[in-house]
This record gives sequence, C-alpha cells and structure tokens, in this order.
Amino acid sequence: MEENDRMEVIILMKGNHNMIMADHLVKTFIKNEKKNRKSEIKAVDDISLTVREGEIVGILGPNGAGKTTLLRMMSKLMRPTDGQVSIRIGAEEITDEIEIKRYIGYLSNNTKLYGRLSTRELLQMLGTIYGIREKTVEERIAQISQVLSMDAFLDNRIEKLSTGQTQRASIARCLVHDPQVYIFDEPTLGLDIISSAAIIDFMKRERERGKTVLYSTHYMEEAEYLCDRIVMIHHGRIISEGTPGELRSKTGQNSLRDIFSGLILSADGSKEGLFGNGELQDDIVSAGSGAAGGMSRQTAKREGMYDER
Amino acid sequence: MMNAKIIRTLVKKEMLDVFRDKKTVIMMLVVPIILYPLIFVGAMQLMNFIASSMETQNYRIAVDAEDGDAFLQKLLEKAETERETAEEPGAVEAKGESAYEITIVDDAAVSDYETALNEETIDAYVSGRVQDGRMQYDVYYLDSVTNSGYAAGIVMDAFDDLRDEMTRQRIAAAGLDVHEILDPIGYEKENLASSEQSLGSIMGAVLPFMLIISLLMGTMYPAIDTTAGERERGTLETILTLPVTNRQLIVSKFITVAVIGMISALLNILSMGGIAFYMYEILEMQTDIGSFDMTKFVPAILVCMLAIFAFSMFISAVTMCVTSFAKSYKEANNYITPLMLVVMFVGYIGFIPNLELTQAMAMLPVANICLLIKNMLVFKVDYGMIAVVLISNVAYAVVAILFLSKIYDSEAILFSEQKGSLQLFEKRSNLRKGGVPTVSDVWLVVAVTILLVLYVGSLLQVKYGLAGLFGTQLILLLVPLALVLYTKKDVRQTYGFTGTGAAGFLGGSLLITGLYPINSMLASGLTQLFPGSAGNVETVFSGILGDSALVSLLVIALAPAICEEMLFRGLILHALKTRYKIASAIFITAALFGFYHMSLVKFIPTGLLGLALCYVVWRTGSIYPAILMHFLNNAYSVIIIYYPEQVGRIFPVFVQETFTLSDGLLLLGAGLFLTGIGGYVLKKCRK
Repeated sequence: MEENDRMEVIILMKGNHNMIMADHLVKTFIKNEKKNRKSEIKAVDDISLTVREGEIVGILGPNGAGKTTLLRMMSKLMRPTDGQVSIRIGAEEITDEIEIKRYIGYLSNNTKLYGRLSTRELLQMLGTIYGIREKTVEERIAQISQVLSMDAFLDNRIEKLSTGQTQRASIARCLVHDPQVYIFDEPTLGLDIISSAAIIDFMKRERERGKTVLYSTHYMEEAEYLCDRIVMIHHGRIISEGTPGELRSKTGQNSLRDIFSGLILSADGSKEGLFGNGELQDDIVSAGSGAAGGMSRQTAKREGMYDER
Repeated sequence: MMNAKIIRTLVKKEMLDVFRDKKTVIMMLVVPIILYPLIFVGAMQLMNFIASSMETQNYRIAVDAEDGDAFLQKLLEKAETERETAEEPGAVEAKGESAYEITIVDDAAVSDYETALNEETIDAYVSGRVQDGRMQYDVYYLDSVTNSGYAAGIVMDAFDDLRDEMTRQRIAAAGLDVHEILDPIGYEKENLASSEQSLGSIMGAVLPFMLIISLLMGTMYPAIDTTAGERERGTLETILTLPVTNRQLIVSKFITVAVIGMISALLNILSMGGIAFYMYEILEMQTDIGSFDMTKFVPAILVCMLAIFAFSMFISAVTMCVTSFAKSYKEANNYITPLMLVVMFVGYIGFIPNLELTQAMAMLPVANICLLIKNMLVFKVDYGMIAVVLISNVAYAVVAILFLSKIYDSEAILFSEQKGSLQLFEKRSNLRKGGVPTVSDVWLVVAVTILLVLYVGSLLQVKYGLAGLFGTQLILLLVPLALVLYTKKDVRQTYGFTGTGAAGFLGGSLLITGLYPINSMLASGLTQLFPGSAGNVETVFSGILGDSALVSLLVIALAPAICEEMLFRGLILHALKTRYKIASAIFITAALFGFYHMSLVKFIPTGLLGLALCYVVWRTGSIYPAILMHFLNNAYSVIIIYYPEQVGRIFPVFVQETFTLSDGLLLLGAGLFLTGIGGYVLKKCRK
C-alpha cells in the first residue's frame, strides 16, 4: 500500500530535472602521522554525482569512506581540492558558494544551535539572513512550529530544551528558508525511535513536496526503505549506485546488507580479507552481518530498532 | 559583499548571545560598578585607620639636662601648644597632619638609653652638655622604628625653633635690626598651574593605564566568546551553512566586540568619574585642597571618550586577530596572555614624565592613546595630533579586520584535520620539511616584525644612530628567518636564492637607474604637496649620518638591500604566490613595502620601487638581481648626500632645490628610456 503511494509520488514529482550536481569532486587532507611523517589522504577521490528533483539519495559507506567530506563539499561548507558543485534553479545553474547555500538546508551532528537564543529568535535571525521578508518569516515560523509541534517551547532558550526538542529546533533551522535541497549527514545517528522516525517522516514529506534530499546513513534498512537511489562509497570513490532494485539485480544479492558487504569486499580485493583493514572492521561487521556470519551487539540494537518500526 | 542587513542581523545575534552570557556581563558591570567603589571605600577606610592610629600617638622623649635648660623649656612649651590644638574640635584635619602628644620621660628612670630605645620604652633620647663654651645636644633615636623617627623629627623642630629664637634675641641684644639681618631678601614661590591642571597631571599618569586595562578586560571575553567560544559550542558550522561571507562574519563579530568594549569603557569612566566627584566633595568639606572647576574638564573628557572609542576598535581588532585562530576557550586564553602583557607594558608609558606626543608617537598603537589622554588632561590641545591618533587607531583596526577576514580560513579552523594555515602554533615535530611558509604565518610574523621595528627599532635609532638603523635591519632579517627555520621551510625556495643569468642583473640595474630619477621627482613633487612629512633620505637620516660615506653606504644601502629584499621580495612575495595570482601577490607586496615606510609622501615612490623589484624577482625567479637593484637605488641617494658637488657637476638636477620644466621632462624622458631598456632586457631573460 505504502509502496504504491510512493511510486505515485515519484511519478508525479520527479520531473527528471537535475537539482544538485557534483562534478569530479576531490578533497585531499594532510594527515599528521607519528614523528615527522605527513601523508596526503584523498578523503574524496573523484566523485561525480547528480541528484534530481523530488529524489531521496542515500550515501552509504563505512566510517572514513568520505561521506561527511562529500556532503560538506556539496553543501559548500568545505572547498573541494578539485572539482565543482552546482545547483540548478529553473534554467539557471548556480556555482557561487554563497548563492548555493541559499538553496540548501544542511544538518549534521556538528551543526549545533545557539544555546542562549530561543528557537523563535534563531529562526527570525536566519530568515533575515536568507533575505526573507519579515512577515513571511513570521508566517513560516508559525507554520513550522505547528508541523513540528514546537509551540510549547518556541520561546524557551535552546540550551534549556531536551534532546528531542533540540533536534526539532535543528530541523526547523533547515526549514526556515524553504530550501530546494536538503543535505543531511547521518541525521538519525544516535536518536531514539521516535526522534528518528520524525526525521524519516520529514524527509518523505519533503520529497512529496518535490524537494531533493541527499543524506548519509549507516542504517541499511532505513536506506532501503527510504531512498530512491543509493550511492555506495568506499575509500573516497563510488563503488556502486542505483535504485535498490538495480543494485539487487546487479549483484544478485537480495538484501542491501549483503550487497554492501559484497561490494566492499571486492573493492578491497581478496588478499586483504574480511578483517584485513582494521579501520573498516567494525563497519563491515555492522554493515554486512551476513558475510561476517555474526552480528555485533551494536548492530543487533540498530536492527531491533528498525524491526520495531 | 558587505550586506548591511546581514551584518546588522549578525551583530544583533552576537549581542544577544554575548549579553546573555553571565561571565561577560559580570566582567563588564561588576568591575566598574562594584569593584571601583569597593576599592575606594577600602582605601578610605585604610586612610582613616592610619590617621586614627597617628592621632593618638604619644611620643616619649627623655631629656638628660638641668631643669632650667632652655631646650627642655622649649620642648615642654611645644608639648603644651600641641595638646591645646589637639583639643580643639576639627583641628587635626585642618592642619592636614596628625596631632601628637609629647611625654617628657624622667631621664633618671632611663639607666641605659640604648636599651630603652630598643625596648621602645622611649622614642628619643636627648642629652645636653657644655662644650667649647656653648650647649651641645645629641639626639639618639632608631631610624628603623617609625615612631622613633617621628620623635626625633619633633625634637629637631624644637631645636630649630630654639635656635631661631636665640639668634633673634642676640641680634636684638647687639642693638641691630633683626629683620634686616635675618631677612636680607624676600622670596616666595607661586604655582601658576591652575588647580585643574595640577589635578589633570595627576590623573594623566594613572587614568590612561586604568582605561586601557579596563578596555582590554572588557573586550577580551566577548572576543574569545564570539570566536573560539563559537567554535567550541559547535555553532560555527551552523553559521557556515548560511549564505554569509567570511568578511560579513568577521566584521559583525568585530562590531559586537568593539561596541561592548565601548560600553564597558563608558561604564568604567562613569564609575571612576562618580567616585572622583564624591571623593572631591568629601575632601573639600574637610580640607583646603583648592577649588576646581570641573566643567573645564568637559572638552578633555569628550576627546578622551573619542580616543577610547577609537582604542576599543583597535584593541577589539587585535584581540580578535589572536582569538580567531584558537580552537577552544583555553587555547584563546593562552594566546591572549602575551598580548595582555605587551599592552600593559606599553600602557605604563603614561607614568613616564616628560614624554611628548610627537608625530611618530601618535602613530604608535597603545602609546598614542595613553599620551593623548595624558595631554588632554593637562589641557595641551593639538587638533592635528588628536586627528592622527584617532585616525591611526581606526585605520589599524580596519586593516587588521580586513586582513583577518582575508586570512581567516573558516574551513581550517573548523575541520582541524586540515593542513593548519597557522603552523607557528603547531607542534614542530608535526611540521613537514620543505616548501614555503603559509600566508597566515607570514602575516602574523610580518605584523610582529613591524611592531618590533616600530618600538624597538625606533628606540635603537634614536639611541645609537646608524648602528641602531643597522639593528633595525637585523630585526627585519632575523625575526622572519626564525619563522622559516622554525617551520622547517626550504630557505632557498622561500627567499628565491637561485642563480640567474647576467641579463637579469643588467636589466634590473638599468630598470632601477631609470626609475630612480622618476621616483625622486615624484617624491619632491609630493613633498611640496604635503610639506612637513619627511620625503627624502636627507631629512630622514639627517640626524644620524656619520662622516664616513662608506659606513653609510653599508648601513643605508647594503643592509636594507639584503634584509628588506629577503623579507619583502623573498618571504612575503613567495608566500603570497602560493595563495594568490602572481599579479595580486606582486601588488600586495609592493603596497606593503610602501606602507612599511610609514609616510604618506614615500608611499607612492616606494610602492613603485616595490613593484619594480617584485617584477624582476618574478621574471628572473631569483632574488639576487633585486638585492643589487635595491642597493643601487639606496646607494644613489647616499652618493648624492655625500658628494653633492661632484654629482652637481655631472647631473645638476639632482642637487638643485627646484628644477625647470625642461629639466624635469628631460629627466623623465631619460628615466623612462632606461626603464624601457631594462624591461626589454628582462623580458629576454630566461627563468
């Protein structure tokens, strides 16, 4: 039933119109190592990506794969070492850093709010900075507050809010300028069921309004349930992309979990083996329990969360 | 770029954020409103305590003399009058000193005066005897005991009175006019300074220091809070998702910090003023300290207020430059401590007597504000000087903030894994060998170097003349070199120590020889437009030039050729080249070289010289031709100063006070011709 609704929405809203484009993005970091050594690390190594209007695209990848760096570059928080990000608004293609930011709502675990301001003050300030008329801002605040049921704490200082309330205030922050594109970096990480369900519902609702969502996650089931398209990255490169169905037929595997671990294993090459790369060990375990033949406690907990939903 | 609405919104947000922080509010309000009155009340209490302890003081003096001894009589008389005045109400305060009582201790009770003094059973011991036909008294006391010292003083006063009285009696007995003999001339000193000036000179020493410190304290917390604090709280990443430029961000933070600094300075002044007024009222009731017309201070206080506003802009910019690179509150505090020490140290300048606010002083940050406030309080008004101080402070602030918004790399600050742009504060073992210093490092070190040259260098030059000038050049060379070596950079690459063909040297020499007459004409033209500012070498070095042309050639031509070239065309140009396009790097370096000469008139000629030097370094890829060119340029000036006659015989135009239009055009033509040939040769030369 729900699947059918979703299909309809996609047909209605997805005009195959490209919204945000990443063109051969590269980001090189200099990493301090022990003693006098420094090494260059390509956190993102030549990634090109296009997200269309009314589409939810999920970025999957183990820790250190370059998800956060990619999303930071796409939301213009970070300058790419090479390559370019652009946004299409109408017929216009925008590449200017400041202009692009106008059309993006970016949310990550590091985007904290001003604790000494109230949510209302914060939203008013943001509205003015985005250049929205005062009256429109007030209307939008009222609307957002109603949708996210924030009326009770709209005028409280943010530092006094609970975790769930703060998360809602964070979403409100991304909403105030009604952006075309949402870029969320692990928005459900460490949240309880109710809070993460609220975020997932929010993303679905925005897609229905024709908005574009690009987000990263560790949770396979969540991605499978939500995403129109999935981009898997590993060591800063795209190792596979497509709709969940395409990925299934491409790899012959049924669950996203198996597809993912299989892809990572083949990308790393057989000689490294499953636990060859210490950095990835935990992620592979949590991402690909089937291949690993077991499940860490943490993974079990995450899975349970989705079963309940 | 500078959207006023965005900046206004950001400032409003920063203000809300800062004013809702208890720490800042306490620092801003508590110090002026509670601490000053508290200090004042404490001081009054202490004064009262001291006064009351003096009041009841009883000095015990033992006198070993006959009962009818003249001194003993005198001392008893003094004790009596003292007792009478002390009993009159209000007499103690009226005298402006504490009253005392004298008890004459029976000397028979004192067996050993030394022990008695040490045990403090008596305060002074006087013994009289006849020697050579007159009375000889010896006064014994202990310098180490306060009361003993006072007692001895009282005794000596009594002797003075006694001697005076006896002298008068004897003169009268000899039948002479006492007045004529004892007072052959009359004299009196009279203080022409108005009581306001006297008060001002006392305040002028203390007030600037207090204001500077209170401003520093007032701006410190908001500066840390809006920069390092924002980063620490994780809101910086949020604000970077907004369509806001670095400059808008920095400028709005600067406005916030500066305004808070101004508010805190105003509160400080009001509080200090209130206390001063209260104290004055109390003192006026009790004593005669002269009357003050407080309205006379109004213009002075208004100018001081402006000065404080300008200074709060300056100090805000400086503290922000320091705190912006810190990643946490703690780190910011570490960075700010040395700054505080420097500012306090320079702030002491108000206590130095006889230090005049000269044109050069008016350009020195911190010192200029101190001296201006000091001058204003003694009613020394020089509007030109006031303008220079105010403008220079605001200008430093603006330049600092623009620089900060240029070099403030939010990405490097935010995502610290990134190659740090300020490597100076990184662990040395973490730094990679080779390459060129980062632009941020270079700006920081250049700022420190220029400050050192301003403060230490000018002191050295005033004290040691030519040797001091050489010392200044060494500062220019060594401080940046220390950066290059500390950050393990490639010296060859940083300074451009690479060989080049003869064409580079030839072309450079021709270019500079052509540019020299053009520049001297420009300089003399500008000097006529702006008389008074030092335009040419003669006026700058007139005081310190020695007899030896060779020494001058070494210090004025060779040393700057090496040291200034290594700094500007070496370090700065090569570092800028890594961040900017070559044309921008050249223009920024040249402009900096112009600014470095600290003179309106010299800016254009030295800027042009800088352009030429940068161009040659870029063309040849080597600094050596630039060193030769800089040497030649300065050497021409030295030769003209030392050998005016010889030069005059060959090129009269260079030594004439004025020159005709045809002379000028000829010179210009020749200059352009040589410059052109030089440029042509340089174009041919390969890197």
